[in-house]
Amino acid sequence: MLEVTGLVVRYGSIEAVRDCDLTFDTGTITAILGANGAGKSSLMKAISGLVPAAAGTIRIDGEDITALHAHRRARLGISHALEGRRLFHSMSVDENLRVAWEFRHRGNDFKTASDRVFERFPMLATRRKTPAGLLSGGQQQMVILSAALIHEPRYLLLDEPSLGLAPVIVQQIFAAISAVCRDSGTTIILSEHVAALALSVAHQAYVLKQGKVVRKGAASALAVDASLSAAYLGG
Amino acid sequence: MEFTLQLAFAGVCVGSAYALIAMGLSLTFWTTRTLNFGQGSLLMVGAVATVALLGAGVPAVAAVALAIALAGALMVVAERVAIRPLLKSGDSMGWVVSTLGFGLFLQGFVAKFYGSQAIAFPSLIFTSLDFVDVFGIQVSAQYLAVLTLSVALMVAMEIFLLRSAWGRAVRAVSHDADVAALAGIPVRRVVVLSFVASGALAGVAGVMVAQITGTVDPQFGFNLMVLGFVAAVFGGMGSIVGALVGGIALGVAEKLAGGFISTAFGDAVAFAILMAVLAIRPQGLFGRREMTKV
Repeated sequence: MLEVTGLVVRYGSIEAVRDCDLTFDTGTITAILGANGAGKSSLMKAISGLVPAAAGTIRIDGEDITALHAHRRARLGISHALEGRRLFHSMSVDENLRVAWEFRHRGNDFKTASDRVFERFPMLATRRKTPAGLLSGGQQQMVILSAALIHEPRYLLLDEPSLGLAPVIVQQIFAAISAVCRDSGTTIILSEHVAALALSVAHQAYVLKQGKVVRKGAASALAVDASLSAAYLGG
Repeated sequence: MEFTLQLAFAGVCVGSAYALIAMGLSLTFWTTRTLNFGQGSLLMVGAVATVALLGAGVPAVAAVALAIALAGALMVVAERVAIRPLLKSGDSMGWVVSTLGFGLFLQGFVAKFYGSQAIAFPSLIFTSLDFVDVFGIQVSAQYLAVLTLSVALMVAMEIFLLRSAWGRAVRAVSHDADVAALAGIPVRRVVVLSFVASGALAGVAGVMVAQITGTVDPQFGFNLMVLGFVAAVFGGMGSIVGALVGGIALGVAEKLAGGFISTAFGDAVAFAILMAVLAIRPQGLFGRREMTKV
């Protein structure tokens, strides 16, 4: 279980996340919804350790990780796929996966780990030697997802995985996300500005507005709530 | 003809030392996007420390190893006091001044104990009178040793960067430090590692060049660093092959200009090359354009 209590994230004098309490149950998918600038990315970066928490605590399975560096948290099993196709463009697909694997693996060998990944995305297997920068947007997103999953994390944070992708690719990506949660029991936190998409795979959801949690509930309940998009998501 | 070939060969050898200096500058540029202008003084420290240790009766191998280790350690200090604090305040360019200041401090420190006069640098393996015959040209053994060692170090560096986990980590941090941290890479340790390696490379280059020139003084190193910088820009910042080709081209141009026009003309050639490269091909011979993330 991942628990966030009283979290505050500040950039200078701007408060991006204000006193947020969130709980993510093991083996579930949680959607974080909200308009641009609502604080979704900052919340996720605070969980993975890329930005410091100005106040509050973050715990995984009861252990306080608030003071740990990002790379320590990564080794504890938190994987974070950032927004905007952030991968190592000049490295091949294989090298991207190797970098993602070699500093946090637990014993197993790289070949087994990467074969498992290529089973999930067969399309990547034929592009192993291609520099990641030359792949299409959808393939890049698959590499990012594969890199995030290669060491079988306990927690997976996905920031806007659908952004800028063709609908057919988005379907593949979301099918993969559901499968990871179902097959490996991974706890997934998914931020999306397309609420309907996220709610279709999530179990529960939080809605952020101006850095605060303004709604939470079962995904199925929020999905049929017509007032949601009008009130919080900017249409 | 033979005179030209001899000059060209000397240029290749000296140029390979410039390539090592370029390599050292690039390493820390990759991991921190800063240039350490104190690098020149570390060349000098490497050479002066070798002389000092030899004078104290330390055997040659140990003296050189200790001097190189000292240069590596001082580079970590430079990162700690002259670079890291200045990167905290956003896009500050303060590191230009602070790293230069660090270099000047080292110069002053050495000058206080050894004076500003040139100190003789002893011959370590070959004397300046040892010659080898290569395809009918008389080649100085010292120059040949410099070339061999430089090329070997560059090849080792390339293999390290391409094939090893920590080499990949250096490239990952260079491309996107956030993504690297999320992959479990200890970014701070990679940065420190790059500074140790950069300092050690400076130490090696310092000892090698001092071996050729035969003397060392507190100002020794500053010009060399500038030449290394030109080689790095010429070859393309961040490419090892580029640094080698850039360094060698620069060395040859400098020696030919020195031999046929005037030895005082060498630096002018270097800066002419720098200006021409910046005007015609700013990314360098082998470089890709630096992509800046928004």
